[in-house]
Amino acid sequence: MHAPVDPRIARHRVPALTFAVFLLLIAASAAVVFALELGATPARMAAHYRGGGFAPAKTLDGLLLVAVPHLVAMPLVLFAASHVVGWARAVSRRGFRALLALSFGGAALSIACPFLIRFVAPAAAWLHVAGFAGLEAALLAWATLLCAVFVPWRAAVRALPGDRPLPPAEATLAARVPSRARPGT
Amino acid sequence: MRFLVRTAGRPRSRAPVRMFIAFAALALAGWAVQRVREGGLVPAEVEAYYLGVPGGAPLGSAALWEEVHVGAFVQGFTLFVLGSVLVVSPIPDRVRRALLVTAAAAALCDLLAPFAVVGLGGWGAIRVATFVAAALSSATLLAVVAVRFGSEVGGARPG
Repeated sequence: MHAPVDPRIARHRVPALTFAVFLLLIAASAAVVFALELGATPARMAAHYRGGGFAPAKTLDGLLLVAVPHLVAMPLVLFAASHVVGWARAVSRRGFRALLALSFGGAALSIACPFLIRFVAPAAAWLHVAGFAGLEAALLAWATLLCAVFVPWRAAVRALPGDRPLPPAEATLAARVPSRARPGT
Repeated sequence: MRFLVRTAGRPRSRAPVRMFIAFAALALAGWAVQRVREGGLVPAEVEAYYLGVPGGAPLGSAALWEEVHVGAFVQGFTLFVLGSVLVVSPIPDRVRRALLVTAAAAALCDLLAPFAVVGLGGWGAIRVATFVAAALSSATLLAVVAVRFGSEVGGARPG
């Protein structure tokens, strides 16, 4: 049985799908930069941070230069994606929580591990690989869920008991703005 | 988005959205000035930046992808928020869709254009064209959002 299509969801289709495309680009570019700069193996990654051969060890300033922007950017992107997917109830509550844990856990590890590798133990490179893989998987999952919720033939939302109908003023706005995408118009 | 879809009867959303629009406009202006000052409107200077001096090595893949990574975050997030605000503004659906799709396509082309410059060993004009297209389409989107968000529709004030 198909869930009823919610006009509130349908109206946000283009921005949400645009965001999904950029999420995929963020994930793809992060994977390429990770592989090119840090190397594909934990040993190379440890050498990247702790120095080796002619390469100097990373300084605290250098690590902070990368970590600080990511401390702002990563939660913002994950918050936006999870907020929309959660609102649309695209996954079960348990699945949603698991994906949240994977996302923010992966992000936290990806930010913390360079410091751990450099100042605590090179073995943390394994943790870095795991955290980054988890974060990449989560980004792909959020983008997939956004597409699953917002592509025209799947734009559905499960209404739960207690959900409020559209407020009258917004319903007026929705009715006055012609929309071919909006179901039922 | 959740905050925006139920703007009716929540006038408090208008001020933060207007502040976001103001900062997005400043960011866009700053970005455009920065690019112009770095030679973004001159094909030869674009080529010199990405291809290096004649006979030298072009900008590395990692640097190109880092540029994409940063741009995808900034532009993706900004377009998502502006698009969400556009949805709750009294604008015909066709116009709204055209504005956002054009701005997103131009931003994507601008992000990926350096690969074309490096791959073709020239053609800096491609990046100039994508920069102009991205700047103009984003500025148009911002201007429409700024003018239409919060304007009255049938007595109901969204936001």
